[in-house]
Amino acid sequence: MSTDTTPAEPASKIDLPDHVAGDAGSIPSFDCTFRIARFDPEQDSEPHWEEYNVTMYGTDRVLDALHKIKWEIDGSLSFRRSCAHGVCGSDAMRINGRNRLACKTLLKDLDTSKPIIVEAIKGLPLEKDMIVDMEPFFQSYREIMPFLITSGHEPTRERLQSAEQRQAFDDTTKCILCAACTSSCPVFWTDGQYFGPAAIVNAHRFIFDSRDEGGDMRLEVLNDKEGVWRCRTTFNCTEACPRGIEVTKAIAEVKQAILQRAF
Amino acid sequence: MQVHHYDVVIVGAGGAGMRAAIESGQRARTAVLTKLYPTRSHTGAAQGGMCAALANVEEDNWEWHTFDTVKGGDYLVDQDAAEVMAKEAIDAVLDLEKMGLPFNRTPEGKIDQRRFGGHTRDHGKSAVRRSCYAADRTGHMILQTLYQQCVKHGVEFYNEFYVLDIIMTEVDGVKRPAGVVSYELATGEIHVFQAKSIVFATGGVGKVFKTTSNAHTLTGDGMAVTYNRGIPLEDMEFFQFHPTGLAGLGILLSEAARGEGGILRNSEGERFMERYAPTIKDLAPRDIVARSMANEVREGRGAGPNKDYVLLDLTHLEPAHIDAKLPDITEFARTYLGVEPYTEPVPVFPTAHYAMGGIPTNINAEVLADTDNVIPGLYAAGECACVSVHGSNRLGTNSLLDINVFGKRAGIAAAEYAKTADVVELPENPETDVVELLEKMRTSDGTERIGAIRKDLQEIMDSNVQVFRTDESLREALNEIAKLRERYNNVGIQDRGKRYNLDLLEAVELGFLLELAEVISVAAIHRKESRGGHFREDFPDRDDENFMHHTMTYLDPEAETDGIKGMRLETKPVIVTRYQPMERKY
Amino acid sequence: MSTTSIPAPRTGYSRHKSTRSKFEMFAWLFMRISGVVLVILIFGHLFVNLWVGDGVQAIDFGFVAGKWASPFWQIWDLLMLWLAMLHGTNGLRTIIMDYSEKPSTRMALQVILYIAAVIVIVLGTLVIFTFDPCPAGADPSVLAEFCKA
Repeated sequence: MSTDTTPAEPASKIDLPDHVAGDAGSIPSFDCTFRIARFDPEQDSEPHWEEYNVTMYGTDRVLDALHKIKWEIDGSLSFRRSCAHGVCGSDAMRINGRNRLACKTLLKDLDTSKPIIVEAIKGLPLEKDMIVDMEPFFQSYREIMPFLITSGHEPTRERLQSAEQRQAFDDTTKCILCAACTSSCPVFWTDGQYFGPAAIVNAHRFIFDSRDEGGDMRLEVLNDKEGVWRCRTTFNCTEACPRGIEVTKAIAEVKQAILQRAF
Repeated sequence: MQVHHYDVVIVGAGGAGMRAAIESGQRARTAVLTKLYPTRSHTGAAQGGMCAALANVEEDNWEWHTFDTVKGGDYLVDQDAAEVMAKEAIDAVLDLEKMGLPFNRTPEGKIDQRRFGGHTRDHGKSAVRRSCYAADRTGHMILQTLYQQCVKHGVEFYNEFYVLDIIMTEVDGVKRPAGVVSYELATGEIHVFQAKSIVFATGGVGKVFKTTSNAHTLTGDGMAVTYNRGIPLEDMEFFQFHPTGLAGLGILLSEAARGEGGILRNSEGERFMERYAPTIKDLAPRDIVARSMANEVREGRGAGPNKDYVLLDLTHLEPAHIDAKLPDITEFARTYLGVEPYTEPVPVFPTAHYAMGGIPTNINAEVLADTDNVIPGLYAAGECACVSVHGSNRLGTNSLLDINVFGKRAGIAAAEYAKTADVVELPENPETDVVELLEKMRTSDGTERIGAIRKDLQEIMDSNVQVFRTDESLREALNEIAKLRERYNNVGIQDRGKRYNLDLLEAVELGFLLELAEVISVAAIHRKESRGGHFREDFPDRDDENFMHHTMTYLDPEAETDGIKGMRLETKPVIVTRYQPMERKY
Repeated sequence: MSTTSIPAPRTGYSRHKSTRSKFEMFAWLFMRISGVVLVILIFGHLFVNLWVGDGVQAIDFGFVAGKWASPFWQIWDLLMLWLAMLHGTNGLRTIIMDYSEKPSTRMALQVILYIAAVIVIVLGTLVIFTFDPCPAGADPSVLAEFCKA
């Protein structure tokens, strides 16, 4: 990862293939049905299913369809969303039985011949439609002390860190706290006591940061009854992560770190 | 209704809000009100980096950075502010590193730096490596790191609280804020927060445009709320269009792609930036690149079936290099357009990105009541504020700098002010206006739909107030906005509930958007010159004689200028310290 | 929905108090180690019982008695009993923890599990150590060779 790689000056003019420069054809449109788990806390005691038919385009995402339903059919459909391109982590939901971000799931990648099933993520208290109470999730996050812990005087310049040391925790810095992993974990579904993959991922990010000195404290927290030992390596979290973080691997690395510290 | 009392209330929990909270939280009793969870803020979408003259990889100094910022902003930058920002940039980056931000590193283990548009060595001689970065998710890392520090310092957050009004009173003839009125999304209840100091850090207003890199939630709430209470908005005509948005979607592909060697080509395969900016070519400032791209398309050299975009070519770069430096944005191209950037150029087109204007402040982040006076106890920082460090065009990476430098300043200033200031008494029933507005919306039998009005607004803004503007197009936009405001009076919502009523809030946000779209258009009509992000085809040159000043727009039902009612326009001089305006060439 | 009773932000959710014990770590480690050891013990057991010599045809009371006359096989089988029982019990404990939602159900299932485990372990251990290879008055044809001496 050297910084001195100045690429050779590219050509002023190149020939582009026709499909790039010109006609790439029009975007196909199709009809699809959404089966959405609706829950209005002021009216319902249980969620119920409702179906909506919309015409969508090949480049559309599930979020676009939800917007279309909200803006054109039923304004009371409630879901969180913000950035709409997979970096803010607002719109994790269960789409066809899998936790994903609605803004990162393209309709063309789903089977649109059957109804697309959309429901809230599981394991967190349901508030309304796709909205769940995120507080238990963030509480676990706070409990693992997700901040750099150092001792002694602050240096005047930056702390040094080699590219290899930086690489050791690169994967887990990608986490956007969307809760797709934690709410796909069967252990978390049981009683919500397990810290959950996301908290462990964020602990990993600091435990393996060469600048941090709070690793022991975090390992202590995660060595507890509801810590890493409740992980059953079902890999649901790795599969759910919209950022491609190898979550289960990160958890295994934390387990190893605890064992190395104990023996 | 509930009333809460704090020393400092910060509205918004993006980069600027949380940076302020970290400072303020350690000095005074602080509450942060945010309409999202803090980590959802759009700071997280920033990619390329944060410039500071650390000189870790090559010679650099903050004075050059100041010059680039001033020149990049086409000399409409307040130079005292630019100096502050460039000078404090170094500490801002080091602060973040000490908070734990995982910057990419040089072989010696120092913070690595790379090139970025408009950042040059020695006053424009050549491009310089100044941008400190963490892969192409620098904003994400800044947002996470600041949130982590907030957790560490136990900052009190009120998540999903929408601030819909600021309570302004007069104390001994001086305008002062007494608090804010907010709406709790979870319960539909109104909360009044009384505070000695209030910091607005509510972000931008990109959703007035259709093609935008901005989040759905960036609806200019803070700007509209203060504007409605008589506080001016500065330089709203200047909106930055980022050159490389994914075509048709507006999702941002960082300038880092060009910083790392990517280049733009038209349908003929030509590297057209060689014609527009012979020296720094594809790394020219964003306004110039965006305009050049739009011009290529206008002159029929656009690519694609409708010839409506150009191409970002990364194919001459090593895949390993792309993976190491630009993993996220290449992933966007694959996910959303199905284009493999290793082998194929990526379709891109300018996307509405950043409001240079906003709530006017001085270098201590104090909000200005007018050209000369500040409002004691009211602060603003980040995109919603206009210091003005960005002038008429912001340089890439300077927004992340802005939020850190002026967020910190705002936090400190607000807390220090709260230590000595008295509590401003709340007027009677401060929540009335908000409650009335919400009840009217909630119970309205209107037939117009939010989505339809917003879509029309965004299309009007995209076709009339975008990269190229004329008097005619702007007046057309104003006419249409007036019609939309009529329709908005008849807007109806379907969710009548109290809990998590996002339908209701979208309706309120639409009101803000309409208002700000009007301010942007009016300010743009009045600036009869072309400068930075504001390009008037009927006045294609910069006119320092008549327009070397900031625009201050006030809400004023009595006023009428150029046949436009309801707004009063004033000017504010630009602060010039060392750099006299020169022609801007790259 | 009443508008008066709303919880303040950051209302805590109750996680079980930290126990500061390393039990779960040792349990996790035990499962891995006992698993490996059990593979050796079980395959050794199967090899000797079903493969060597006449194989499965050789198994009868005498064969078992013959093995348990040797302290080597006594300890082998004792280890197998203990490790398998603890391994299995811990496995069931985690299943109960993962799948029972009510604390009362969880408690009841665990009590049953532990009682069952204790009974089996105690009985099994007793059998191994108190086993008489040559019970008086038994049919000599089924007894081991050395009983005739």
